[in-house]
Amino acid sequence: MKDYKKKFSKTKNKLFMFKLSQIISFVSLCCMMILINTQAACQGSSIDFLRSTGKIYTVVIVIAVIFIGIVIYLYRLDHKLTKLENQIKNEQ
Amino acid sequence: MIKIKGLWWKALGAIIFLYVLIGGMTVPLNSGITYTNPSNAKTGQRIVMEVTGYNTHFKSALQNRAWLKADSSHFIQATSVQQNDEMHVLLHFDLPFTMPSKEKVQPLTLIIDNEIDGAFVQPNALFVTVSDSLQNDLSQWQTLQLGSLNKKSGLTFPYRNILNETIRNTFFHVALWFAMFILLIIGLYHAIQYLRTGIYDHDIQSATINKVAIMYGVFGLITGSIWAKFTWNTFWTTDVKLNMTAVAMLIYLAYLVLRGASTDTDRRAKLSASYSIFAFLALIPLVFVIPRLTDSLHPGNGGNPALGGEDLDNTLRLFFYPSIIALVLLGMWMSQLKIRYERLQEKIFQNQK
Repeated sequence: MKDYKKKFSKTKNKLFMFKLSQIISFVSLCCMMILINTQAACQGSSIDFLRSTGKIYTVVIVIAVIFIGIVIYLYRLDHKLTKLENQIKNEQ
Repeated sequence: MIKIKGLWWKALGAIIFLYVLIGGMTVPLNSGITYTNPSNAKTGQRIVMEVTGYNTHFKSALQNRAWLKADSSHFIQATSVQQNDEMHVLLHFDLPFTMPSKEKVQPLTLIIDNEIDGAFVQPNALFVTVSDSLQNDLSQWQTLQLGSLNKKSGLTFPYRNILNETIRNTFFHVALWFAMFILLIIGLYHAIQYLRTGIYDHDIQSATINKVAIMYGVFGLITGSIWAKFTWNTFWTTDVKLNMTAVAMLIYLAYLVLRGASTDTDRRAKLSASYSIFAFLALIPLVFVIPRLTDSLHPGNGGNPALGGEDLDNTLRLFFYPSIIALVLLGMWMSQLKIRYERLQEKIFQNQK
């Protein structure tokens, strides 16, 4: 019974972490889309945020995209490794 | 593939990327001109030109000089230069009655020079309409060379009109594609080695490195799309290089599908190794040949000089080439982690049998 409980909480934890990763990537994607779309919406105004100060924020977003992409890759690898570790543990 | 043991090349990749990040973001841009008013005038007029600069020091500079240039041997110097602040300056010009060329409308280039910012230009700053006049006197034009122009001291990136600060994306967006290509070559090498030797480890390496390269390609498409939004004002154009690259990426996505479709490891390895050779061979004409045959917004196409001149000058090269090396090293690091994972899984699979 105890073992079952442990296992249950573990899967629950895993599910939570997976959901969390999805939420984080979704939220960051949303932020970026909102940021970019607000630029599109206020094109009438002379200077908007991403075009202000010589468009430096465009460079910032490009770097952020690469960084987030690499982090998502590493997170997924982490997830897979954890699975493999558990598999080895169960076999022993 | 040579097995590089240890951490040094991973650390090297991280350090070089840090250098690119810091240097690429902190080196200032050259001075430039963002706005001039008026943009039209007639011959013989006396005009006051309002100029907004970028990264300029009009007020702190001791001597601001300005010219309008018709061609390489005809200049008019501003009669007076009135600086309001560092970024704004008023230039007074007496336009001559006659123009050196016979054209009805003549574009003039604005050149501003001071000892802090050096000399910088705005092409086609003023369009002068030739009004009817009997005079044919070019004596008002300065025909001598401009003399000694100042040069900005220190390291600066070139100022390009529409690009502005986004020229720094060269280190990230462009370098990503170069790194992707190098990674694909390494993946191709392992695919060929697998077909030659039949050692399964080569298949693991080839597939993983290819996957990281495809990830770089997807990053390249996304970052390029964002860059295009703020320079070409659209996320996606009908530019031939964009479409051909998208086709190449789809070919490589099919590679992922192919790998995912088969569970028989031996068959999967053989199929995907030969497919990746074909995919690579398709990539070369799609990305390097076809865009060069037609017009494209990208540099190096339709007769444009390939990554040279102002688009990639020596100061940009200081960060551009290290960025490629860093991205390749980081990509190899990421794929090494995945390769180790795949090897472990393979070992477990063998043990289960």
